[in-house]
Amino acid sequence: MKKVAYWSPKEVSSWLVEEGMQEYLESFQNLNGQALLQLTEDDLKKNPLSKITSDSGRHLLDKIETLKIEHHIEVHKNGHANGHLSIGINEGSNKNKRNGIPNGFRKEVVQIPMPQPERSPFPLEWGKTLVAFIYALSCFLLTTIMISVVHERVPPKEETPPLPDKFFDFFDRVEWAFSICEVIGMILVILWFVQWIFLKYKSIIGRRFFFIVGTLYLYRCITMYITTLPVPGIHFKCSPKLFGNWEAQMRRIMKMIAGGGLSITGSHTMCGDYLYSGHTVMLTLTYLFIKEYSPRRFWYYHWVCWLLSVVGVFCILLAHDHYTVDVVVAYFITTRLFWWYHTMANQQVLKEASQTNFSSRVWWFRAFKYFEQNVQGIVPRNYQWPFPCRPSFISRQVKYNRIDT
Amino acid sequence: MDSPKLLREVDSVDTQLDVHMEAEHSTLSNGFTRTVIASAVNDHGNCNQTKQSTLPNGLRKGTRKQQDYIKISVPEPKNRLPLEWWKTGIAFVYALFNLVLTTVMITVVHERVPSKDASPPLPDKFFDYIDRVEWAFSVSEINGMVLVGLWFCQWLFLRYKSIVGRRFFFIMGTLYLYRCITIYITTLPVPGLHMKCAPKLYGDSQAKLQRILRLISGGGLSITGSHIMCGDLLYSGHTVMLTLTYLFIKEYSPCRFWWYHICCWLLSAVGVLCILVAHEHYSVDVVIAYFITTRLFWWYHTMANIQTLKSSPHNYLSRSWWNPVFRFFEKNVQTQVPCAYSWPITWPPSCLKTSCKSYSMVQSARRQ
Repeated sequence: MKKVAYWSPKEVSSWLVEEGMQEYLESFQNLNGQALLQLTEDDLKKNPLSKITSDSGRHLLDKIETLKIEHHIEVHKNGHANGHLSIGINEGSNKNKRNGIPNGFRKEVVQIPMPQPERSPFPLEWGKTLVAFIYALSCFLLTTIMISVVHERVPPKEETPPLPDKFFDFFDRVEWAFSICEVIGMILVILWFVQWIFLKYKSIIGRRFFFIVGTLYLYRCITMYITTLPVPGIHFKCSPKLFGNWEAQMRRIMKMIAGGGLSITGSHTMCGDYLYSGHTVMLTLTYLFIKEYSPRRFWYYHWVCWLLSVVGVFCILLAHDHYTVDVVVAYFITTRLFWWYHTMANQQVLKEASQTNFSSRVWWFRAFKYFEQNVQGIVPRNYQWPFPCRPSFISRQVKYNRIDT
Repeated sequence: MDSPKLLREVDSVDTQLDVHMEAEHSTLSNGFTRTVIASAVNDHGNCNQTKQSTLPNGLRKGTRKQQDYIKISVPEPKNRLPLEWWKTGIAFVYALFNLVLTTVMITVVHERVPSKDASPPLPDKFFDYIDRVEWAFSVSEINGMVLVGLWFCQWLFLRYKSIVGRRFFFIMGTLYLYRCITIYITTLPVPGLHMKCAPKLYGDSQAKLQRILRLISGGGLSITGSHIMCGDLLYSGHTVMLTLTYLFIKEYSPCRFWWYHICCWLLSAVGVLCILVAHEHYSVDVVIAYFITTRLFWWYHTMANIQTLKSSPHNYLSRSWWNPVFRFFEKNVQTQVPCAYSWPITWPPSCLKTSCKSYSMVQSARRQ
């Protein structure tokens, strides 16, 4: 179809007939495409056109608008970047009109405001991670204080011999086993820390780790405090009791925190913190987190960590440093809490409290909601270079044109 | 322009469809009248002719009342809550086995309990604050029996007895299995000097067997005089029963019976408290028992009620060791078990109901 601007009067007439506007045929006998496009409402109000038209030219003007749009599309076929292609307009008689049209179409890019996507599905929210960290820290502190308190109540070895334990019946004590256990624990913690640094969503995962660790140590405080088990072996060297000597107790607490609660650092000289085993908690939990937040294909890495974890736990028992029931209960509570938390975090349906959602009946459900409310979906295992400033050979920044900036 | 022609074609297709549907309506009794369609195809511009042909079919509308209804085959929804009593039987056997195992384990552990003078009771915070009350343990056991009786009555009136029963047996069995493990691996000394432990039978298997049978027949209660053995402390079986029956009672009774729920909660709480007041268990036994019972109950029911979890790959709850057993039991249960009740004993219908079976065909088809 020829461009409207090039229409001859004959084509205009045939278009009028096609559109069912035969009444204009006579008056527009000599009208060409150009003039047709330039018809305005005023023209139709003047005589003689006002007599012919029944709706004051509304229909005709609408049709002309349609033609104009088609025309506009034609002239902008090559995009706005080239400006308005003034085709055929220059041939027209009205020079005024020629000036008008190029000005109407500027070369600038038109900004269309797009509704911004609301939020990332995994907002970082470092504030919440800080809260979780403080929670974990306070639970550690509370545990240390509790150990110190419980130490005062541990019955002496002579009065209450170690309780009968099936594992101890089968395996005799091995002296250096506990050091192995602690070394393994430190390796696992360091591995987890290094892995955590490379994660993209550090804050979310860190938050989870702190919360779970904090809660486990809080439970541990309770179980240690309410019933005190006697020392599991005669080999134990427990520090003497400080009846009421607060200063010395404070110093012991500081020493324990500074040493991380490990015997290897010489900070754990207090007895009584048996049910349940904190070493087992750390070994199991770091393994669970390492496995969960590392790529699936690193199966050898998972196996190595699993082996380390199992050997560590076995060594605790081998060293006769904890009863078997301490280790079993610790394993049970750690795994259950970890799986429970992560199932709730990964299923949207479990994040709301309802009749059917029994997971919402745990006491920490509110805290969980606070931490995980804005996390939508499963946190992907993405990794990134931890440091903000990349080495120059890594970055390949390409300058794009204005549209992208 | 092309569009008017296209519209006309579309119109004709519609007319064809109309005619076709008309013909189909009369399929059952009249068969497919081909003449109508033929005329439509031949002359789709000539509406009058097609209209004429459809009139005879249209007249048949009046006779439609006597016609058969058209059966639209909908895939039959499977029964979403099948009873499957045999699975309940398996769960019952499992629970029974674990109870017997626990009894055997208590007998074994009894031999290893350190004597009271060799190993005095461990320091316990609750015991420091509250002195022993003698009759408290009987209160606890009576509460336990009341709760079990209430739960049993309630269970009889449930409509989906088999499903709920299966869950109860499985959870109870698993809790007692865990208990076997914990009482076996480490033996705690008796919590109080008041405990009267039966003498040890070193190697006398006959007498041990008798003790086991006595314990089973008495239900493990001290009130019946069957529980004379010591050492089964971590964790407390009484707490398990008190907590579990309360959880089941609350879960499977109507929400509006709030007074009933509160009563049962009181019974349960008082029972647990009395265990401690009687110095029959350490506090840690009770706390751990409560923790394990509630977690297992909530875990099981979350997995059972939320259908998406069963097939979701990110369901960490399925990493428990009993997940295959769970799937076996709950595979065919497709919705949450509703709070529905029915008489436990169903009378034969001929005695009570009047057999009014003559409904119209539609309703009988629907009831299928």
